[in-house]
Amino acid sequence: MTDTTPGLLDRYQFQLRRLHSLSGIVPIGFFLLFHLLTNSTAFLGAERYDTHVQQIHDLPWLPVIEFLFIFLPLAFHGILGIAIAWQGKLNVRQYPYMDNWRYTLQRITAWITLVFVAIHLLHFRFAYWFGVPEYASAHPYFFAFTQKGFLHLWLPAWLWICMYVIGVSAAAFHFCNGIVTFCITWGITVGVESRKKLSLVAGVLCIVLMLWGFVSLYALTTMTRPAHGAAEAARGSEQRISTPYMARHETPSAARE
Amino acid sequence: MDKVIHFKIKRQDGPNSQPYWEEFKMPYAPQHNVISALLYLREHPVNTRGQRVAPVAWESNCMEEVCGACSMLVNGVPRQACAALVDDLEQPIVLEPLTKFPIIRDLAVDRQKMFDALIRVKAWVPLDGSQDVHEPAPRISPADQALRYVYSRCMTCGCCMEACPQYHDHSDFIGPALFGQVALHNSHPTGGFFKADRLHALMDPGGIAGCGNAQNCFKVCPKDIPLTHAIGELGRQTTVQWLRDLLMK
Ligand code: SF4
Ligand code: SF4
Ligand code: FES
Repeated sequence: MTDTTPGLLDRYQFQLRRLHSLSGIVPIGFFLLFHLLTNSTAFLGAERYDTHVQQIHDLPWLPVIEFLFIFLPLAFHGILGIAIAWQGKLNVRQYPYMDNWRYTLQRITAWITLVFVAIHLLHFRFAYWFGVPEYASAHPYFFAFTQKGFLHLWLPAWLWICMYVIGVSAAAFHFCNGIVTFCITWGITVGVESRKKLSLVAGVLCIVLMLWGFVSLYALTTMTRPAHGAAEAARGSEQRISTPYMARHETPSAARE
Repeated sequence: MDKVIHFKIKRQDGPNSQPYWEEFKMPYAPQHNVISALLYLREHPVNTRGQRVAPVAWESNCMEEVCGACSMLVNGVPRQACAALVDDLEQPIVLEPLTKFPIIRDLAVDRQKMFDALIRVKAWVPLDGSQDVHEPAPRISPADQALRYVYSRCMTCGCCMEACPQYHDHSDFIGPALFGQVALHNSHPTGGFFKADRLHALMDPGGIAGCGNAQNCFKVCPKDIPLTHAIGELGRQTTVQWLRDLLMK
């Protein structure tokens, strides 16, 4: 309410906040669901995982899609989010209401998720900056390549797993609580009752997403052979089984342990 | 002096001076509220160290929780001191001025920001004169009346602002009480004439986008004003207004 000329961020505060809220659901939230879906195919076996990842890599215009629907929205949501986070003065100690806890956790999980996404991107998508082969080059042994990223890259496996458990949980909470605040912000749930019901649904969804993520993590870090040998046989890909999964990437740079 | 009422009060001599704590004890009498106890202390302004000091300053008017003037933090909770009964409170009773408004002196704060904001959002029903307009008064359904009655009880006391994590001196956020008033006046048949103006005011910097959905405001409001309902309703109204601005201009 001061009369200094407002910056862009202030002048378009309403529009930017609405887009910020929207971008968290579409496309970022949808991408999160899709990502969890693909990852969890690891639980159905390395073969399934490799097939699904390959399908994604086969998409036309992939770099453009990746930039427009993943990197750009993530950067927008993250950068604006940092600006927004400074506007609040947390007071949950004085007012320990459930909704105030959620408001506070939404900010805490935002920071955790931000760091986690950065780590996650460096860990897989941009690991080649540090001399690791590009993810796409793992074709067609994505499962093995990913597993190696967890078990034999830079850090001890337990540390990666801890980071991912925390990161996935934070992202799941942030997304699900974001659905609730999205519906308030845009005026979809107006009454207190409707909000309570939605919160309940979001809470269940949050748990489901967490478990879903953990299942993928479990599969990618512990399953050593295709779980569904039958599916393997059905494809008659004998020679594929005999190919040692790691063989392609036992290059000196990737094999440091 | 067996039974006493023990106060611990955060004082400040002027808008820019340093705050300090001072304690007072007064003889117990049943059925005191915080304001009536402060009235006693005004007559006997002697602190617990036996010094005679300047009496504590505060504001009050109605003494029945309808004017909002006596809002302060009583044992850390923003509420009306006149409605805070000493017998219900844990001692020592800690009194502090509201923290989100400039301090005038001791417990008295300047809530002008809220009144300025009411002007900004045109929180009134426009009248174009007192002549006969040859129309009956607009009709309002009992259900609407009931909801509007609740909104109309807002006394601009500032408790909701106090509890809101988004409202403080480094933010230009207009604050939760205003949402109740905009919802009230937008829903009035004649007040609705200014609906677009009010929504545009809320879409300006510091408007509804400043809300972080913590919902503290609703929890602390002494008048149970459904502020979160108002925020949801205005979220919807601003969405529609935004689309209208985008598509029809
Ligand atoms: S909405 Fe409630 S807490 Fe806020 S100013 Fe009005 S009466 Fe006070
Ligand atoms: S719901 Fe909005 S206005 Fe109310 S306390 Fe939370 S941030 Fe403040
Ligand atoms: S004196 Fe009016 S509300 Fe307390």
